[in-house]
Amino acid sequence: MNRKAYTNVVLIFPTLTLLAISFLTGCGSSNSAPAKSVAATPSVTPVNSPQQSAAVGTAFAAPLAATVVSGQNPMSGAAVIFTAPATGASGTFANGTNTETDTTNANGVATSTTFTANATAGGPYMVTATVSGGTTAADFSLTNLADQVTSTTGPSQSAAINTAFAAPLAATVVSGQNPVSGAAVTFTAPATGASGTFANGTNTETDTTNASGVATSTTFTANAIIGGPYIVTATVSAGTTTEDFSLTNTAALVTSSHFSFYLSGLEEIDDGPNFYALAGSVTIDSTGVVISGEQDYNDGDGITSPEPSGDIILGGALKADPTTGQGTLVLVTNNATLGANGTEILGVQFVNSSHALIIQFDGTATSSGSMDTQTLPSTPSGGYAFTLSGVDSGYNPVVMGGVFSISGATLQNGLVDINGEVDDDDAKPAEVATLGNAFTGTVSAPDSFGRGTITGTNLDGITGITLNYYMVGPEAIRIIDVDANDSSCGSAYGQGSGTFGNASLGSSVFGVEGDPWGFNYAAAGQFTVPASGTFQGVDDNDEEGEVSRASPISGTYSVASSGYGSLTIAEEDGPRLDGVPEGEEKRGVSVLGIYVTDPALNLSDPNNTVTGLGGALVVDLDERLTGTGLLIPQTDTSTASFAGNYAFGAQDFFDGKFWEFDFVGQGSVTTGTLAGTGLVSDPGGFFARPGTHTGVTFSGIATPDAINVGRYTIPLAITLLGGNPDDLAVVIYQASGGQLLLMDENENGMSLGSLQQQGSLTAMPASKGAEAKVKPKQENN
Amino acid sequence: MKRLHAGLWLLVFLLSISHALAVQAQSPAIATKAAGPFSYDVSQEVTLSGTVSSVLTQPAAGMIMGSHLLFVTSSGPVDASLGKFALLGDDALAVTAGQQIEVTGVAKIIKDRQVFLARKVTAGSTVYVIRNKHGFVVSPQARERATRTTPGEGQ
Repeated sequence: MNRKAYTNVVLIFPTLTLLAISFLTGCGSSNSAPAKSVAATPSVTPVNSPQQSAAVGTAFAAPLAATVVSGQNPMSGAAVIFTAPATGASGTFANGTNTETDTTNANGVATSTTFTANATAGGPYMVTATVSGGTTAADFSLTNLADQVTSTTGPSQSAAINTAFAAPLAATVVSGQNPVSGAAVTFTAPATGASGTFANGTNTETDTTNASGVATSTTFTANAIIGGPYIVTATVSAGTTTEDFSLTNTAALVTSSHFSFYLSGLEEIDDGPNFYALAGSVTIDSTGVVISGEQDYNDGDGITSPEPSGDIILGGALKADPTTGQGTLVLVTNNATLGANGTEILGVQFVNSSHALIIQFDGTATSSGSMDTQTLPSTPSGGYAFTLSGVDSGYNPVVMGGVFSISGATLQNGLVDINGEVDDDDAKPAEVATLGNAFTGTVSAPDSFGRGTITGTNLDGITGITLNYYMVGPEAIRIIDVDANDSSCGSAYGQGSGTFGNASLGSSVFGVEGDPWGFNYAAAGQFTVPASGTFQGVDDNDEEGEVSRASPISGTYSVASSGYGSLTIAEEDGPRLDGVPEGEEKRGVSVLGIYVTDPALNLSDPNNTVTGLGGALVVDLDERLTGTGLLIPQTDTSTASFAGNYAFGAQDFFDGKFWEFDFVGQGSVTTGTLAGTGLVSDPGGFFARPGTHTGVTFSGIATPDAINVGRYTIPLAITLLGGNPDDLAVVIYQASGGQLLLMDENENGMSLGSLQQQGSLTAMPASKGAEAKVKPKQENN
Repeated sequence: MKRLHAGLWLLVFLLSISHALAVQAQSPAIATKAAGPFSYDVSQEVTLSGTVSSVLTQPAAGMIMGSHLLFVTSSGPVDASLGKFALLGDDALAVTAGQQIEVTGVAKIIKDRQVFLARKVTAGSTVYVIRNKHGFVVSPQARERATRTTPGEGQ
């Protein structure tokens, strides 16, 4: 009852009000029609466009405005209530709420304060304008827009597997029409299948927009899986919109690279063991297919590649793990006497895409060497230091080293030290080492594989020998003796443009190892140069099982302007090998020929022009000790630098059947702990099962020498699959974190090898896959 | 005349010094020497006669690397080091226990024990060359080549 009466009052009150308003208004109008005005109902209509949009958090461009009319007449002073949704996508007026009341002006128009979209994207949603007594409402249709992201670079790209897409991914974020600076855009590629990675190594990264609203990803690199198109999304954090980039991983772009390789060791074939050397050049496409090549093989005892053509490499394959860089290189040659009916298998361990440690890995021979990208065409020119190691025409071990220069076809200014048994027992006067012999020669132009000849030399001290060479680049040349009755191989390294002197030598590490055919020994050490021409340091020696460890050394050295020099370890300061009594010589390694190279050249990795630069080649000039090695500037002995991923390898001579085993491997060093896996070639049977072995583990903890910083000892456990570990006592000398020498020093074996820090393997031209199978009769795993 | 002669000698002497210095600049003085416990001084050689006890293709514990010939002399047993090539090849050392032999070599002390670095082993009318006079062990290939009529011709 009471509610009904109240309702009537409410209905009556506006009518009376309107009547009063009409009356008052009509007093001023000559055309007033009071009866009609009283009867009219106010209506509300939008003034401006009822549809607007604005980015979340921003003001709509125009305020909301509504006209109130009564009949045909605008109503001034009418209260218009603007009301936006209370939840969800909506907005607020200047009063901070979703509603406000505004009064119409003389034209009957009520205008809201600025309406600002809230943080919720969505719409359209309605904001209504109502007036008391009205039966209609004005609706404004508004939309809150999320930040918009659009692709800036082309949304579609393709790249070969394992290569970078040409353009980084770039997305522009706009709010309305305005670029948004500082917005976080997340790029996300598929986690599996054909996809790729950003510079952080993962499939996603977040980048911030610049002042133009553009967020640009780091380089995006296709993974190894062919496929696509696949979608990489760009999502802006302030909203939900995404932009898609459509990418495709195509098959590898087939390009080709030239590699030179060289090895020396002992062969099983030809009634071995015999010394042998192998050098060549091979062209490999980016999928690992061997396209072509040339090589020279020489044991000096019945198997010498036909000259001058050498062997032709007809085909083959390089297979290597893209992560570790470990695998095999199969070379199919036209020389059926080599390998298995002409097919040789090399074990490869890439240090980086242009340098690998290699071993022969097919059971027909074992050896160690290096394989390096060739810069072709290159022509030998300028000054070089060189060493060679092998057997002479009497099949006695011989090593030689020195310097020469090449101008056009002329090899000149040659100066060579030769250490070997160049007489034949009692038939001639005794000669062991001949020093500073002048020599000249004639150099042919290299062919398309970088192969040429050096003839007319008298390098072996008796008659001339013929050498073939393979260019790695202008400052690195692999050399092989191709005479039928003698054999050797080595390298010549450029000397740059400078001249040399005693100042060319500073703190260094050095290593020397015997010729495979000679007395078995190895030595490694390090020294400082307290004054020009003098040195002091420490070394380790193993001479057929007679071992001295961490022995102090000192002495003198001299280097001529040509880079030709020598280093002598003073006898009075020299260490005494274990068990060698007073009255006997303390040690063998004492006189070294040193031949200084370009200080901008890395002797282990001649394509590396950044780290581990400089040094010298070394020849042992002691009687009976026919060995070669190298000397490297010691620039960083920090234990912290000896960390990361390393490739490693060594040539190890051992007692028993007089053989060697060779290994290459890859692993990590973490706080001195080495853990790796590798390949072992062991035809002579150092391990329990002679043959070639994959999946061999290498482990040990390198203990720094507290007194001789840069020197480490590490008991290295080598374990064949399914076997028990064989422990080698190994010493390491650190030239830098990137380059270290390792030496096995046992009573029944010794070696010299290296640890080389790994770089990028992205451009390694290999197919992914398991190592090649060796001949079944040689596989003993 | 006598003074002129002396002056010529002086000139020669000075020239010699000048030449020597020039050579040294290009070729630093390096002198190799017999070095290490395995060095072989042929002037210290002796020849021992005895009876073969055994031939070891691999060293026993404590022995130096390589193969060994054990024989007994009137003064006692001798461990003769044969190196790594003596038992290899067509003309490998072929002696058996009980056989009378003569061994020429140099006695050394290595690893705190006496060892006889054998250079030649004579068994009957056969002479086996184990090492040359610098102590290099002689490989089968080297032995074969040493018997050629034109030794040293390898090219």
